[in-house]
Amino acid sequence: MVKVMKITLHIIILCLLSSLGNWIQHTFQLLIPGSVIGMLILFVLLFFNIVKLSWIDEGAKFMVRHLTLFFIPATVGIIDYLDLFLGKGILLFFIVIISTILVMVSSGWISQWLMTRKERG
Amino acid sequence: MMQLFIGITAIIGTIIIYYVALKIHDKYHYPFTLPMLIATIIIVLILLITPISYDSYMIGGEWINKLLSPAVVALAYPLYMERKLLKKLVVPILVGTTIGALVGISTGVLLAKWAGFGEEILLTISSKSVTTPISMAITESLDGITSLAAVFVVIAGVSGAVLHSYIYKFTKIHHYLGKGIGLGSASHGIGTAAALENSQLEGSISSIAMSISAVIVSVITPWMMVLLL
Repeated sequence: MVKVMKITLHIIILCLLSSLGNWIQHTFQLLIPGSVIGMLILFVLLFFNIVKLSWIDEGAKFMVRHLTLFFIPATVGIIDYLDLFLGKGILLFFIVIISTILVMVSSGWISQWLMTRKERG
Repeated sequence: MMQLFIGITAIIGTIIIYYVALKIHDKYHYPFTLPMLIATIIIVLILLITPISYDSYMIGGEWINKLLSPAVVALAYPLYMERKLLKKLVVPILVGTTIGALVGISTGVLLAKWAGFGEEILLTISSKSVTTPISMAITESLDGITSLAAVFVVIAGVSGAVLHSYIYKFTKIHHYLGKGIGLGSASHGIGTAAALENSQLEGSISSIAMSISAVIVSVITPWMMVLLL
């Protein structure tokens, strides 16, 4: 029970930080999403020990472990576009997948190459 | 009252289906049994078979969706835990994500152009490798189709998360750094969730790659579209 309360409290703190991030994004008209701004703020606060790890760790661990769950409702939104992928639109489906593979291979390969070169020398 | 009932049912239903999908993935541990994919397919099928519309599902779904933003904030935790190591990896991370951003925008747009799609689609597909809110914001500023952008983002995320183990095996990318950067650059948050399943370290690198990629893509997309269109 104590753990559940801890997790809830920690998640509330994370929600406050995400609201702060969203507020900064809107106020300064930034293209970086509020959630990413909130993440950077939390990182800085932890780094300078302004926020103690014990204020957020249980909630953060819980949310990171179940990250997938939070994406599900938005992903289900694809249902409104099923028609698009009948006919010529299906090409777009494959184009996105091919491009995704190319990004993964190019960025992954180049960073691995830089890293192994560094590790050897 | 009815609204509240539908909302609570949608929330509980989603959590149960997510839980079932986790169990299936535990039992049959293959890339294509990714909990995200299974849960989405189950819910889409339920909505197609029953008279429940996506909009009424989202009365409850919206509440889970709202937690997505604090969940991204929570990624600061693994990032902080791995901070000492990440400091040493700044150069490969920056170079890798920049290359990924350039490849993602150019190949998506050029392939769609080659297949004969119009300008509106090309503008919409350009930012598909980054997380939904950014992709939608970029698409809006370019006058693309915002809701379709979200669909491309989902396809990029799920396909990367499902295919990454095959791709890495085939291309011999086996270092946690390359794997994390590839997943974060190509498949944003959904890829990061998959990377976190492999290790906390790979997940942290993926979440950094996803964040840096979001910044780079939002800055360079408008300029690249001038060249590519």
